[in-house]
Amino acid sequence: MGNKLISMQEAVSKYTWDGMTFAHGGGLPVGSDCTEFFREMVRQGVKDINSISHCSCQGINLLAAVGGISRIEVGFSGLEVYGFANGLRRAVESGQTILEDYSNGSMPLRILAGALGIPFMPSYISVGSDQEWCSADEPDVYPNTKKIPVIQDPFTGKNVGALSAVVPDLAVIHVTMADVNGNAIILGTEWSRFELSRAAKKVVLQADYIVDTDCMRQYPNLVRIPDFLVDAVVYAPMGVWPACSTGCYDSDEEHFYYMNKMLKTEEGTQEYLEKYVNSYKTSEELVDVIGKEKVDLISKSDTAFLMDPYRKWIKTDAEIKELMGGR
Amino acid sequence: MDYTKNEMMAIATGREFKDGELAILGVGLSMLAGYFAKKNHAPNMNPFTEGGVYGSTPVGGLPWGIEDNRISTNATSFTNGIDALCMLVASAKVDNAVIGCAQVDKYGNVNTTGIWEDGQQPWKVGKYTLPKTRLNGSGGANDIAIGAKKYMIMAQHEKRRFLERVDYISSPGYLDGGNAREKYCFPGGGPAAIITNLGILRPDPVTKEFILDAYFSFSSVEEIIENTGWDLKVSPDVKMVPEPTAEELANLRAVDETGSLRK
Repeated sequence: MGNKLISMQEAVSKYTWDGMTFAHGGGLPVGSDCTEFFREMVRQGVKDINSISHCSCQGINLLAAVGGISRIEVGFSGLEVYGFANGLRRAVESGQTILEDYSNGSMPLRILAGALGIPFMPSYISVGSDQEWCSADEPDVYPNTKKIPVIQDPFTGKNVGALSAVVPDLAVIHVTMADVNGNAIILGTEWSRFELSRAAKKVVLQADYIVDTDCMRQYPNLVRIPDFLVDAVVYAPMGVWPACSTGCYDSDEEHFYYMNKMLKTEEGTQEYLEKYVNSYKTSEELVDVIGKEKVDLISKSDTAFLMDPYRKWIKTDAEIKELMGGR
Repeated sequence: MDYTKNEMMAIATGREFKDGELAILGVGLSMLAGYFAKKNHAPNMNPFTEGGVYGSTPVGGLPWGIEDNRISTNATSFTNGIDALCMLVASAKVDNAVIGCAQVDKYGNVNTTGIWEDGQQPWKVGKYTLPKTRLNGSGGANDIAIGAKKYMIMAQHEKRRFLERVDYISSPGYLDGGNAREKYCFPGGGPAAIITNLGILRPDPVTKEFILDAYFSFSSVEEIIENTGWDLKVSPDVKMVPEPTAEELANLRAVDETGSLRK
């Protein structure tokens, strides 16, 4: 299997390209997602992304705000209690980003169909509504019959919707713990990460902790993503910030609002990029950008006890540096 | 007694949850109404969120999102979206739920996707034009709408939100009314009530058009008709919803510890 640890810079330059179909996971907007991978995509200027996920997140909000997303298929495009995602909203309202609406249930089913290698998933979700009748890819046709065709159940003759399969070029998946080979444990709901890891052509993990493989041998039932599925592992402490990573840190309420406010305008976005995206390179520097006090505060999470069983296997930053061997 | 319209709305919604029900809750008002019910009169209700967070209650304030650490900290099970939304919700195993809306129409169809200039709506012009204002999309509400045994719609009662026909159907209610849902074989029962800051609307059993069922002590039939964008019919049995009891208010405020409903 081998050691798959690489830097964030290398992961983005090696596994992304302009025009690709990119999937990410993935809790809901306030849950854990690969925010740091998105920030690195913005730093490297990746564009024309076709984005796949059940849900938007601050990473999508940021990449859309800089014009990096040309098309998005998603079930929820907001930020929950934090409001509408201003960067994405601006891109959609201006016509820069095409948004194809599904639901939080129909997107994972489409990814599952991709994972199973079948062309579609029959379901009652998303049909009989404008999610079926409106297609951003074919705006001149209403009601649309190609996006989610209603077909006949061959057993009963009754109507059922056909949700098309998706096979992303790449899935970047946030996990709480990974070993260097790519075995991973997720704390909190896994949302669509299980099926995503089986559907995508390539899989990159963004992990809060790198742990010894003995940890995986102790809890094999919890390892829902085994190593052979994974192409690369990136160590990214605080990499979900400003959203929360269950067991590690809470969401940064103040910054969540601030970031969304800044992404509302082009000028605000430029200022935000200078301060919070282009101002650092390493995860040590990210801690300075967030502020040591803030990091300590949000790390005092009520969920921190969830990490207790695993702590003895956590690799230190020095050990990880050695494992990276200058990569 | 001193309480706000939003507190009355949350208590009226909470009263619709029965003990022992399996219920899916969303962020904000939905969670407040659901956890109020669990604390007040439905201790054996089983609430969960759409990503598959089971057995938990919010800690440290109202969660910022449904997979926020504030709801994950005392969970007894974490699973995934296909489990929660597809295996439990879309398959009609869930007893009760609450969804929100930007617009709702007389057949309980809900729009949370976008607001169009009047006359530019896709169903009017026959093409999918861009909305004037892009909203959040359906999230898991579409899954609840097609699959939950029953669910409630919570809304601020304003004429611009209560329409003859919503701009965009994000989550289907009774579509064109009657048994229109049958064409799509939706396993769920459809919306049981629209609960607002002014009163409660329920569907006519045959036509499925929502009619006025009840008003609050601080509202009236006239005020509700005035704030509804379609020609609202009034039930012959229209009545006043009992005011919150002191115990109900205390239980609601214990759940709404940041006082979001009092603002």
